[in-house]
Amino acid sequence: MRCPICRQPVAAGSPDQPFCSDRCRIQDLANWAAEKYVISDRVHSDDLDAPEPPPGPDDPL
Amino acid sequence: MAEKYDSSSIKVLEGLEAVRLRPAMYIGSTREQGLHHLVWEVVDNSVDEALAGFCDRVEVTVHVDNSISVVDNGRGIPVEIKPEFGVSAVEIVLTKLHAGGKFDSNTYKVSGGLHGVGVSCVNALSDWFKIEIWREGRTWEQEYERGVPKAPLTDTGKAGKKRGTKVHFHPDPTVMEAHEFNFDTLQKRLRELAFLNRGLTIVLSDERTDPIKSHEFHYEGGIAEFVRDLNKTKTVLHDKPIYFEGEKDLPNGGKLGMEIALQYNADYSDLIFTFANNINTVDGGTHLSGFRSALTRTINSYGISSGLIKDKDKDAVTGDDVREGLTAVVSVKLPQPQFEGQTKGKLNSDIQGHVVGLVNERLGEFFDKNPAVMRKIVNKAIDAARAREAARKAKDLTRRKGALDSGGLPGKLADCQERDPERCELFLVEGESAGGTAKSGRDRRYQAILPLKGKILNVEKARYDKMLGHDEIRSMITAIGTGIGKDDFDLTKLRYHKIIIMTDADVDGSHIRTLLLTFFFRHMQALIDRGHVYVAQPPLYLLKKGKSERYIKNEKDLTKEILRRATENISVKFGHNGNSGSVEGTEMRNFLAKLDEFRNFIRDVDRQLRDVRVAEILCNPEYKLDTKTDFQDPANLKQVADELKNLKLTPEIAVDEEHAAHKIVYADQTQAHRTIGIDLATRSEYRRMRATAKELAKYNKPPFVVVRESVAGTPQDTWRDLLETLKTEGLKGVDLQRYKGLGEMNSEQLWETTMNAEVRTLLRVELKDLVESDTIFSTLMGEDVENRRRFIEENALDVRNLDV
Repeated sequence: MRCPICRQPVAAGSPDQPFCSDRCRIQDLANWAAEKYVISDRVHSDDLDAPEPPPGPDDPL
Repeated sequence: MAEKYDSSSIKVLEGLEAVRLRPAMYIGSTREQGLHHLVWEVVDNSVDEALAGFCDRVEVTVHVDNSISVVDNGRGIPVEIKPEFGVSAVEIVLTKLHAGGKFDSNTYKVSGGLHGVGVSCVNALSDWFKIEIWREGRTWEQEYERGVPKAPLTDTGKAGKKRGTKVHFHPDPTVMEAHEFNFDTLQKRLRELAFLNRGLTIVLSDERTDPIKSHEFHYEGGIAEFVRDLNKTKTVLHDKPIYFEGEKDLPNGGKLGMEIALQYNADYSDLIFTFANNINTVDGGTHLSGFRSALTRTINSYGISSGLIKDKDKDAVTGDDVREGLTAVVSVKLPQPQFEGQTKGKLNSDIQGHVVGLVNERLGEFFDKNPAVMRKIVNKAIDAARAREAARKAKDLTRRKGALDSGGLPGKLADCQERDPERCELFLVEGESAGGTAKSGRDRRYQAILPLKGKILNVEKARYDKMLGHDEIRSMITAIGTGIGKDDFDLTKLRYHKIIIMTDADVDGSHIRTLLLTFFFRHMQALIDRGHVYVAQPPLYLLKKGKSERYIKNEKDLTKEILRRATENISVKFGHNGNSGSVEGTEMRNFLAKLDEFRNFIRDVDRQLRDVRVAEILCNPEYKLDTKTDFQDPANLKQVADELKNLKLTPEIAVDEEHAAHKIVYADQTQAHRTIGIDLATRSEYRRMRATAKELAKYNKPPFVVVRESVAGTPQDTWRDLLETLKTEGLKGVDLQRYKGLGEMNSEQLWETTMNAEVRTLLRVELKDLVESDTIFSTLMGEDVENRRRFIEENALDVRNLDV
């Protein structure tokens, strides 16, 4: 397991799990507060096939 | 002479009697701290001799009776009779308060312990006190009881070249409440003194133990070694402590000596010790404030000139920032220091400007010569500034303000009536409209609804950028009630024992769910540990036939259902004229389900190849294309290469040096380079595709003929045709509605399918699901789009993989 912020390995049972330290935990919280976490779908639509549309009556297999 | 001695001593004794009456006024207390203070007073006299340059060795011994002796090799206290008192100078030192050091105006009289009361206090508070002096070739002795001399100072014989002073005292048990000296306390302070007085040797021996415990402290590096020692268990940013010293003339004629040592470590706290005349100034003072302001100024100015600090107004680092990870010792020595504060722990002498000047000049010099160290230190301070800003933002998330109702709950929350958290459920619902549906569909007795809006950015660019807004997270934290953070999280304040994430069964919904789960994983892990977090399972389809309605939660179930309907009363024959066999019943349905999976595996492999015809060639169970050995024999690849040629591609069999094997390389129809080799063969989707192909080999013998109630249908040339025909068959007469979002259901439908505890299925979120999901999340969050693309490609990841 690596700290989501600094990528340092985190020992199991660390009090700040999954972070390595309180500081990284706070940094992560600040990232949420600053709305930095964005999931972008562009990678699917531009570079990859769109996720497989489910089969339906108008979707010949 | 004797009479004169008596009369003068009475006057002096009035002073010492005051010490015995109110000892705490002079040495702080009569308990352990005061007891040790007696030692410091004596040792300070010896250290003063060292500071003045006349002494380099001090030996402190704790004797078996808890008496203390302190021996130095200084000049020895003056022994001549002072005419105005009629007694020896040493007797005045030992019987008159604040008398020490008056006999030599050149003495670097900087000491005096915390209270500066002098050795006479020690004498007053000892039931037995003996002094020996070696001076100018003679030895002198005198003994006291409770401050009263038993006889005048006596010359007891030759001293040879030996010189110095020995004080041996036993604290008076009728005055002192503590009687036992603590070795660790003595050791700590004596060691500190050795650090502070470079080159001085201090020996501490404890004769109460067998064998005698003895430590010698001697530090040529002085406070630089002190700093190194303080940092010894830490990861330091630079190997050697930065050290500098300086001297300035003071207006009162004395000299100010300044020494500073500092070293940064990877920690976030600071450790700064300041001393004035060896006294630990616990409350700081002018030397500390000078050091701090010059340090902040110097680091900022080098940060700006080196370009590490871009905008000097916006990005300047503060004093707190530059002190993160700092270990420093500031030591000044000056005549007649001024202290203030209750414990006299704060230096008040006007020396701040001198310290600032020294740090500016010498730290600047150091930075010029060691730019790499300078950059590390500046960057550390910049990191600290960022963390400070982060903490401010993070705090804002948990502060209760704004859109909250009078009970302190978010205004958007539709709370339930039940107050027992064990029976309460909180639905986190994506979208306002679905939130509205959920509000009217719920059982308000125990179900609460918090609608969350996933913000969509860059709509005009047709990108689906999803995020959870600041207010959404804040509302959620408030509604859940536990708070977040190391010190603030309190599971007993949890307001709902089931927290149910209810999002659309589409890509956007999956994104919001990923965001929520990641947040829980990172900041409310205990909720997941205790099994309080769930994911609702809204149906994806409604299948209607006549009056019967059936909700179906995922595609796999849908395929199963369609095939079930299509395969009642049929069998499938395969091979020309059905001569390769036939299959029916459960075996046939398993075969068809397997075909559907097979189709998906081929699709996954095709993500790598972008030509489904190539993927299908690789499905041939006859070809040897699985192990490393298979790829080492180019003959195994030849058949594939030949088939590719039939597709008008130009494959070549090349050496795969990396794996000591062979591979096929070719340019596909878009002229993109493709490789069929061990890298592809070790991918899980490839392995699954090959394994399924082998399992299906028994049946996969086109053409296929469907026989329904003994009537044979049209032969199907490929398995894909077979699957398609049957699926079309299964959908005949059926009305299939796909729910694109929760909002397409009315409140009754949402209740029936997803919220009603009697019939719904909930997925409990497990920690192990999230460890992996967090890794995926981290990668998805990465700044590097190319990296993200590659990651997703390599992991054949589509949004479904994020699902729990």
